Amino acid sequence: MKKVKRRATAALLIAALLVVGLAVYLVRLADNGGAWASYFNGGTPGGTILDRKGVVLYTSDEDGHSFAADWTTRVACYHLIGDAMGNVRTGALRQFRDKLAGYSFIEGTTSGETFSLTVDSALNAAAYSAMAGRNGACMLIDYTTGEILCMVSTPSDDPANPSSEPADGTYLNKCLSASFTPGSVFKLVTLAAAIENIPDLFERSFWCEGSAIVGGSTLTCTGAHGTQNIEQALANSCNCVFGQLAVELGPETMAEYAEALGITAELQLDGMDVLSGSYVKGEAGSIGLAWSGAGQYEDLVCPYALLRYVSAIANGGEIYEPTLLGHDALDGKTRLLSADTAQRIAEMMNYNVQNAYGTWVFGGLNVSAKTGTAEVGDGTSHAWITGFLNDPEHPYAFVVVLEHAGGGLANAGPVASAVLQAAVAAY
Amino acid sequence: MSDIPDLTQYIMTGTKYLLPILALWILLRCIRSMLRERYEPETWAWLLDEDGAALPVCHWESIIGRAASSDVVLDMPGVSKLHASLQRDGDGDWTLSDLRSREGTYVNGEEIDILEPVEDGDTLEFGDAVLTFREIDADERAALERRRNAPGRFIGPGITLLILSIFQAFLALEFTITAQQEYLFPICLGFFALMVMEWFCYLVTRSVRRTGFEPETLAFFLTTLGTAVCASGTPEDMFKQTIFIILGVALYFFLGAWLRSLERVKASRFLAAAAALGLLAVNVVFSEAVFGAKNWLEIGGVSFQPSELVKVLYIYTGAATLDRLFARRNLFVFIVFSAICVIALALIGDFGTAVIFFAAFLVISFMRSGSFATIFLAVSGAAMAGFLVISVKPYIADRFSTWGHVWEDVWDTGYQQTHAMSAAASGGLFGKGAGEGWLKDIFAAETDMVFGVVCEELGLILAVLAMFALIALALFAVRNAAQGRSTFYVIAGCAAVSLMMVQMGLNVFGSLDILPFTGVTFPFVSKGGTSLVSCWMLLAFVKATDTRRDASFVVSRDKAPKRRYEDEDEYEDYEDGSEEAGA
Repeated sequence: MKKVKRRATAALLIAALLVVGLAVYLVRLADNGGAWASYFNGGTPGGTILDRKGVVLYTSDEDGHSFAADWTTRVACYHLIGDAMGNVRTGALRQFRDKLAGYSFIEGTTSGETFSLTVDSALNAAAYSAMAGRNGACMLIDYTTGEILCMVSTPSDDPANPSSEPADGTYLNKCLSASFTPGSVFKLVTLAAAIENIPDLFERSFWCEGSAIVGGSTLTCTGAHGTQNIEQALANSCNCVFGQLAVELGPETMAEYAEALGITAELQLDGMDVLSGSYVKGEAGSIGLAWSGAGQYEDLVCPYALLRYVSAIANGGEIYEPTLLGHDALDGKTRLLSADTAQRIAEMMNYNVQNAYGTWVFGGLNVSAKTGTAEVGDGTSHAWITGFLNDPEHPYAFVVVLEHAGGGLANAGPVASAVLQAAVAAY
Repeated sequence: MSDIPDLTQYIMTGTKYLLPILALWILLRCIRSMLRERYEPETWAWLLDEDGAALPVCHWESIIGRAASSDVVLDMPGVSKLHASLQRDGDGDWTLSDLRSREGTYVNGEEIDILEPVEDGDTLEFGDAVLTFREIDADERAALERRRNAPGRFIGPGITLLILSIFQAFLALEFTITAQQEYLFPICLGFFALMVMEWFCYLVTRSVRRTGFEPETLAFFLTTLGTAVCASGTPEDMFKQTIFIILGVALYFFLGAWLRSLERVKASRFLAAAAALGLLAVNVVFSEAVFGAKNWLEIGGVSFQPSELVKVLYIYTGAATLDRLFARRNLFVFIVFSAICVIALALIGDFGTAVIFFAAFLVISFMRSGSFATIFLAVSGAAMAGFLVISVKPYIADRFSTWGHVWEDVWDTGYQQTHAMSAAASGGLFGKGAGEGWLKDIFAAETDMVFGVVCEELGLILAVLAMFALIALALFAVRNAAQGRSTFYVIAGCAAVSLMMVQMGLNVFGSLDILPFTGVTFPFVSKGGTSLVSCWMLLAFVKATDTRRDASFVVSRDKAPKRRYEDEDEYEDYEDGSEEAGA
């Protein structure tokens, strides 16, 4: 009897496994319950999404769902909201499904809820119009709070009347889920590394004769810039200077800064994963390393990561993490670079506009910026511009990228300007 | 009229929070009542050595030997590790069986084989150990009875059942609000029948002076959830469900009464094995395929699953009394029998039930042999067989490939699991209310995804409590093992709870994508006639392990004193005392 009694405890093993399995389920439920609960809820989640001014971007109840009334708003906010089929992975309908359906662990799903996004749909519409059918991404952020005010990706679609044959990249929010060759805007990363690692940077004088030999190959420049200091080199966007700075800093330091400034880091926006950029280390002293310092070679940057970095430059080196939902309480700043470095880069970006780009580009607004014209190998270039407004009343940072659109200043500049003008006029 | 809608809102909200509280109360009362009772060591006989020192015999079935794991340890030369087994039957008659010891076993100088009757005063020889067998006398017997615990003294089973009835009443009340008008009558009748049935069972057990009612209460609690699922998803089948519950409870009492006599059980085990194989053979030959598995048999318009009834027969056949436990030949026969059963199920294509059988087989064979080597062989054999099945049956392989990836294909292979998980999550802790969910409209929701339905409509708390109700039954059976009357009851009880727990695990975790989806039922809760009936029958095995005083109708009252005591009056006194204790 004693033997059998002992062996009877084998049944307890099964009981223990049941409890373990139940624990696994409860952990998963706590983690994913919201996503599960709202997945099949009548096809689309119930609830209402508003923009920051109360414009209805999506609403649904038992009878069905609808998007914004106005066509431009629907198309301009396509990637922000997503569509009813869930094609846009980063769309609010998919990412904030549990919030929309009113899910909580204790109550399960309740009737749909209403919540606001930080984006202003009018700014989205302005950006969409300014992009004028060109493919790319445009974002505007309040760099003092991290609230994203504008987020547009093209090509877009009308969620109310989805196209049967959407263009390539329609389902991709290029602000968050795409990375592009950055070209000269990457010089802001090289610059930060140089300021903090080369003590005599600002005393140095650089010579550019239109090209330089690095590692036995030729590094070509946009022009023969002659004698320059570092400020002028940035304004001229001199490849020779930034290529040679990258070689001097070495691949490890460059990669370290690309990571620390968030370009290659794994970032999140309100809990959703953002595509990381990439920085491939060229061999020490090689032409590859030199080009990587000028934003070519294998460099890839996600617009979101660049905007986040530029916001930090504008905001004294630290930021509240960007958000679409708004911060309940403003705390937990992230520091990307020292206040001193941020200050110096900010001044140099302002120098760019004052002395190289022309303030007229931004219709008289006091903007600090950096452009990029990224060669993509097929003879065309991506047009980039990123920067921020020096106005405590309107603390906006922006990034614009237009694919295969040509020069950065000429093409991306007016888009940025249009959005900034609209934002300043509205607030 | 205007305040009527307000009232329904109050009812729905009130019951939503009340039901989990009542369920928790029921469960806690049952667990406390089942597990709090302290088991006193019982002495049923003495073995006196030449110096007059007495060794107590504490069980009905005891092993005598040199090993520390023996029940009566004789550390003397010539005694084998497991020398002999001493057994008492329900009539108080003792027998001694030699367990193929080296030196042999002698009663009054004669060498014995198995099942040799032993009487008070006989001399027993095990190697060099010579002992006198002494039964306990009338006083000791009476003292023993007094010491044994009777359930219900601290926690009245009637009160627990009353709480369950209130639980059922509130659940039915929710349905009166949510159910369609045409189904109101069958649903209310179903719940009413359940209440009548449980009180009838309670009165029947009281009338035979048995006070333990916790296993039945837990089973009725689970059956109530099953009735709610049926009322919500398939109210048109309420009559059928009620009839199956009645049938299940009736067979529970029948099997329980049958199990009272160990002699009868022993004599009919081969018959049961033959019946099991016969049912499976009929199943293999005649059944029709329903959704992959050919496990349905239709006779006279009533369809049933033979494999469910085979579960009961399998445990009946597999459990064994102590004297048979140590014969290798018996274990071998059992392994062959199990293999045939599992192969037949594989042929039928009922993969889930095959897994459940295999788990029951592991538990039974481990309890019989105590050998990890046997288990290891069995598991590796099963792994190979399982591999074969997966490679032959493509739809089973599909289920395995879907496992862990259900969200990647929500409209096809992951359809059932994702819908179950989604519905379960949307219920929260307290549920949407009986009849208010949407999962019930999906195919097989009330069987394979029943955990999801319960979570969605009645809430996570109730669903988890349902799992714990079954786990509580298992703890009860394991705890009772220490005082089991026969290893047959202990093995059968533990195998029954293990089988039900494995089945519950496959059902719940299969629908939640923690295990591959096998499509088995949640004991008592899933809708399905034969499954429900077989669960109630398995409960009889659990009931047979309950040896608390006057607790279980399956355990017969000790007849020994009546026959042996000269003084009948004294016995009557004692019986009166027991009634008092039970009240």
